Amino acid sequence: MNETLKLGLILFIITVISASILAVSNNITTPKIAEADALKDDLAKKEILPQGDKFEPLEEGKMEEIKSEYPNIIEIYEGHNKNDLEGYTVKMKVNGYGGEIEFMTGVSTDGKITGIKILNNGETPGLGGNATKPYFSDSFKNKPVDKELNAVKKPESDNEVQALTGATITTTAVVDGVNIVSEIYNSKLAN
Amino acid sequence: MKLSKVFYNGLIKENPIFVQLIGMCSALAVSTSAKNGLAMGLAVTGVLIGSNFVISLLRKVIPDKIRIPAFVVVIATFVTIVEMFMKAYTQDLYSALGIFIPLIVVNCIILARAEAFASKNGVIPSIVDGLGMGLGYTLALLILGSLREIIGAGSIFGKQLFGPAFEPALIFIMPPGAFILLGILIAIFNTVRKKKAAAEAN
Amino acid sequence: MSLFTILISTIFVNNFVLSRFLGICPFLGVSNKTETATGMGIAVTFVVTLSSIITYIIQKSVLDKLGLEYLQTIVFILVIAALVQFVEMVMKKTSPTLYSALGVYLPLITTNCIVLGVAILNIQEGYNLIQTIFNAFGASVGFSLALVLMAGIREKFELIDIPEALEGFPIALITAGLMSIAFLGFNGLV
Repeated sequence: MNETLKLGLILFIITVISASILAVSNNITTPKIAEADALKDDLAKKEILPQGDKFEPLEEGKMEEIKSEYPNIIEIYEGHNKNDLEGYTVKMKVNGYGGEIEFMTGVSTDGKITGIKILNNGETPGLGGNATKPYFSDSFKNKPVDKELNAVKKPESDNEVQALTGATITTTAVVDGVNIVSEIYNSKLAN
Repeated sequence: MKLSKVFYNGLIKENPIFVQLIGMCSALAVSTSAKNGLAMGLAVTGVLIGSNFVISLLRKVIPDKIRIPAFVVVIATFVTIVEMFMKAYTQDLYSALGIFIPLIVVNCIILARAEAFASKNGVIPSIVDGLGMGLGYTLALLILGSLREIIGAGSIFGKQLFGPAFEPALIFIMPPGAFILLGILIAIFNTVRKKKAAAEAN
Repeated sequence: MSLFTILISTIFVNNFVLSRFLGICPFLGVSNKTETATGMGIAVTFVVTLSSIITYIIQKSVLDKLGLEYLQTIVFILVIAALVQFVEMVMKKTSPTLYSALGVYLPLITTNCIVLGVAILNIQEGYNLIQTIFNAFGASVGFSLALVLMAGIREKFELIDIPEALEGFPIALITAGLMSIAFLGFNGLV
């Protein structure tokens, strides 16, 4: 028994040392990760809602209400230009082929999608990974929020966007996500 | 054993993927592009050098009976550190490699080197062994990733190689292509090795 | 996501071996005979489901509460190693028949990445406990299915002439590739 105790103790000591090393490196990297995230988010907001030059988080009560109904929403910002409200940026996560896809959608106050930006994702490069390319994300621009979007091979009418070849799961995930944003805009944000 | 021999052993002679056939999961999963393959290879190399170093350092302190759990704790620590730093400094790669970063813990290569080499050899040879094995793994992933990207997407490191007339064979960046291409590569590697061995015997 | 969708998706559409590349080592290593493949499949199903439940509870009730999420990898792998050891001991004492059938596979399971992979995925996908159980069960059934099918095919290899260069691993990998193409056909299901 004594030996078991001794072995357990040694293993415990090793684990404690490991955990403390990890705690230190966690302390070093956490602010860096937050910083990198914030920088990326800022750039994304300006890209998908170019008319906004000042972004402020949506008022808390409303945010809570939206989050309780749509748990996939991460955050919503109001985009202002001078004192005018120009639109909203909605960051959300959806389940793609290679795990979660984080992306941001911009909606202007006149009811148009102003752009989407795919952020963190683990989609296959060359297939679902093409979602980050302009030919996919640009096809969402200027689509009205009062119609449900569909992905097709050759988009023609104003409720059709570009589908990704060989990546149905990725396409559907993002298109469904944007449709949810439209729904939120129509029911909660526009008034 | 000479250090250069230890290094060559890991890189070519006992190449983890082509010869020892271990660590296949991540090799198949993240070799969808040259960049991802290279990044995964380097992450594994980092963990391998670190864990070989510490385990060789502690090889006289750790009792034989609990060596496996102790090794696993050391390896998991290095994997988590690599994970944190990738998340902080190279977020794109972090999300591209996804779950296969924490899964480096159960990559057989690392535990195998700890058990077979680091726990029996000094600190310097162990580091060299980690470097050789890690780069051997990286090399294999880079070859597999580049081929899959060229055939399956017509590009290398994201740069287009051919004109618009080239129709990429998408299947090669999808899962089946990984299996088939790795099978062919191992077959080629085996044949070359056998020919070389036969030539040396004569 | 409904529980049924989780099952179908993990067993067929996103089969953990053929499309997510988890558990490749045992998939290629112990798929020479259908009998051993079945044994391995059952042992994995048991361990994956049990470890998913335990790691889920630890994550929610300890790691999340104390803000120690960064210890996830290290804690999970230790829990899995201890669990495998414990299952082996219990089996040996209570059911020697079961032990003689599955015992040899148990030590191999700790380093099977499907166990840790599923445990981490359960948390990442934000499943609740019930969904976690279904996900774990589906994942391991999918693993067993691929393993047994592969063993069935490989048994036939003994009867045919395989080009010398392809013998052993290469032909197994190419076979896996063809199976993976077949499994792509399930894509429309979910």
